[in-house]
Amino acid sequence: MENYTKYALKAEEELVSVLTGADNLFVIACNKCFKEFETDQEPDLELFLNIAEGQGKTITGTAKLDFLCNKTQLQSKLATLIPEGTKYIVVLSCGLGAQTVADIVDLPIIVACDSLNYTGHHGMALTKKACDACAQCYLNITGGICPIVDCSKSLVNGQCGGAKNGKCEVDPNKDCAWEKIQQRLAAQGRLGELTAQPVQVRDYGKVNFKVISEYVRTIRESRFAGYYGGVHPSEKKELSEHAQLVRFPQPDTVVIPMSMHLGAPANPIVAVGDQVKVGQKIGEAVGFISAPVHASVSGTVVAIEERPHANRGTCLAVVIENDHKNTLHESVQPKGNLDDLSAEEIVEIVKEAGIVGMGGAGFPTYVKLKPNKPIEYVLLNGCECEPYLTADHHLLLAFADDVIFGLKAMMKTVGAEKGVIVVEDNKPDAIELLQAKVADMPNIEVCTAKTKYPQGAEKMLIKRVTGRMVPSGGLPADVGCVVSNVSTVKAVADAIKTGMPLIERVTSVTGEYIANPGNFIVRIGTPAQALVDACGGITCECATVKAGGPMMGFVQNTLEAPIMKGSNGIIAIDTDVTEEKSCIKCGRCVDVCPMELKPLRFAKYADTENWEGFKTERVMDCMECRCCEYICPSKIQLVTKIRAGKAAVRGMK
Amino acid sequence: MLITELKSREAITALISGKVFIINCHGCKEVRFPEEEANALQKELPGVTGIFTTDYICNPEHLKLRLERFSQQIQESDMILVFSCGVGVQTVAEMYPEKKVCAACDTYALPGFQGVTPLEYDCKQCGECYLNLTGGICPLTACSKSLVNGQCGGCKDGKCEVDHGMECGWERIHRRLAQIGRLDLLKSPVQVRNYATDDKVAH
Repeated sequence: MENYTKYALKAEEELVSVLTGADNLFVIACNKCFKEFETDQEPDLELFLNIAEGQGKTITGTAKLDFLCNKTQLQSKLATLIPEGTKYIVVLSCGLGAQTVADIVDLPIIVACDSLNYTGHHGMALTKKACDACAQCYLNITGGICPIVDCSKSLVNGQCGGAKNGKCEVDPNKDCAWEKIQQRLAAQGRLGELTAQPVQVRDYGKVNFKVISEYVRTIRESRFAGYYGGVHPSEKKELSEHAQLVRFPQPDTVVIPMSMHLGAPANPIVAVGDQVKVGQKIGEAVGFISAPVHASVSGTVVAIEERPHANRGTCLAVVIENDHKNTLHESVQPKGNLDDLSAEEIVEIVKEAGIVGMGGAGFPTYVKLKPNKPIEYVLLNGCECEPYLTADHHLLLAFADDVIFGLKAMMKTVGAEKGVIVVEDNKPDAIELLQAKVADMPNIEVCTAKTKYPQGAEKMLIKRVTGRMVPSGGLPADVGCVVSNVSTVKAVADAIKTGMPLIERVTSVTGEYIANPGNFIVRIGTPAQALVDACGGITCECATVKAGGPMMGFVQNTLEAPIMKGSNGIIAIDTDVTEEKSCIKCGRCVDVCPMELKPLRFAKYADTENWEGFKTERVMDCMECRCCEYICPSKIQLVTKIRAGKAAVRGMK
Repeated sequence: MLITELKSREAITALISGKVFIINCHGCKEVRFPEEEANALQKELPGVTGIFTTDYICNPEHLKLRLERFSQQIQESDMILVFSCGVGVQTVAEMYPEKKVCAACDTYALPGFQGVTPLEYDCKQCGECYLNLTGGICPLTACSKSLVNGQCGGCKDGKCEVDHGMECGWERIHRRLAQIGRLDLLKSPVQVRNYATDDKVAH
């Protein structure tokens, strides 16, 4: 593999001279980038230490770090790293790393390396193809061979005349670029195009310092908007955002899995042949982290058996044949005025209604409502930062009052003074509506967040709204916050207002390969197939079907799995065909990881089964948002590797 | 770090002849890819046989796998129009030497080599790092004249005479050296820049 390492240790004589008069050195070595990730053991640090020790220098400490030019991560690393008594920092890196260190530390730095030049830039794959970024691409005239890079004189109007036997006169090992261009165009029958071209004049002023630095400023702002990292996948919301929200007809049969939440599956409390009514509890919660399950239609229990499940393979499910009478269960009764209900009563209502996080994770909501720390904020996630999905958007438009009611109920329960509904700026209509509704509510506000994935992740949401960082391994309550999805609080509102447990939700059926995308209010347990059929079906066998969004959704090989409490969508999207390649240490995963982790290390550690390494690099902080996998140019299945690492770390305890 | 900008509508339409297959590369989109403008333009182009949007087309192995299912459409097309940086266009051109491959974008370089976050700093990879003498501020990139032996004398109120919006690199260097108590470094012997560092190039 190509090695594009950009620095080399200076020669010994030069090092000896730059070290003259300097002592008490702390040495920072960059682990290098754009080379195969084979080893951490880059030899430069040891070579330098030998020379420094030969000069009788005192070394106060050393550090080998990844990507010194990543200022955010470097800053937090260096904060605790440099021991007292250090007088000089020695940096082994390219010019970018050295300048970043110099900018952060107050001590004088000594750069022990020279940066190396390679011709032009390359893409994100390590490739010999180069681009000099001239800002006036000539490839259209030259059959896709670059005259700037490939001609040693960067001529743009044809050969210089100095080539001998097709070889460049500057470097006889190099083919003459213009001969290659001529041959390519002749083969394509396009020589006429070339000769018809007017004389090209290269405009060096096109790459303008001001434009570039202004651009860098704005792009840095957007990269750091709200929180570090994150990505901007194509939103594709337009496919379903204008499809009207409709109530999906009740199916003839519903399949209700006993596990639609984190924690222990519920225990069925009905038997085959039983008559059940809408809202009747059919599964009892088992343990603290668990949730009960209710019938979403009235009818007869026809089976209690393992059935396909969107993210667990199969799961014990209660199958109910719908009598279409929609008979309500006696327990479904309004729970009274919010003002009259105590916090304990609300917790009990939420618990009994089987309400779990409806953004996908499925954490039992009542547990969140019993924090052991004082709570200042209840944050509602209305970001819907996953591409494609428009379920929460439609829910906000159709049930804004319920969402606000649910928020008030939650604020009352946890004793929070402030409620904030966070919506991404790609939903201006929802923001406008909510702002109008909360205008006279002093303790509730609507926060418009920049569209950036994973804005809706609770830790990102907290950082964006309050500027607080949830500590490693901590919970939102540690920084005085409770975070909930807007769909979840809508369910809380229903449970209080009408007494209806969680038996329906809003879901989107969308994607390029859904004939007529739509948004539906659908009963839990409705087969995904029925929804997809109602949308005209999937238009291509080549589509990848996922339950949830494209980033964190689960691939579905069949449509047998039913809609569950956390099913915010079914999407049929393009299938990507790739093969995993080796890591090239480009560092993009580090740049996008919102938890400020170093995913490339996890890939490396998984391959070498270094589970201790996973622990050191805080793998348990990973929330599997898949930003790293999305950005990876080598298409490494990072999340799969991270999951393996997490399992191993859990096993260590 | 490369970013792309669409060529003018006229320039792009002038390239079109016959049937066109379009490839969009979103690989470096976190830095910049003119997604919306490109989509709008592509809707209006005549003779489009297919549009494929993917990432990192600079990786020929991935691109080959991914283009397999479009082989028919590409076969039928008279040309391939690529919306990517220059590296991507060259990769496609090499993969289809018999096809007309055109670039719909111009490519610009941003400071910084790595990752999605362009840096405030730049490195010219001069091969003879001056940062030791300058308190870690690069005179090649922070001074618009890339002077390596101190100020040119043309700056006014700390601003560069070439660009009044830019701070004088050497004033910054002076400040930094004063701050870390190393003004003595400015008494180093005269530096002569050696442009012939090619023998140090890694490949």
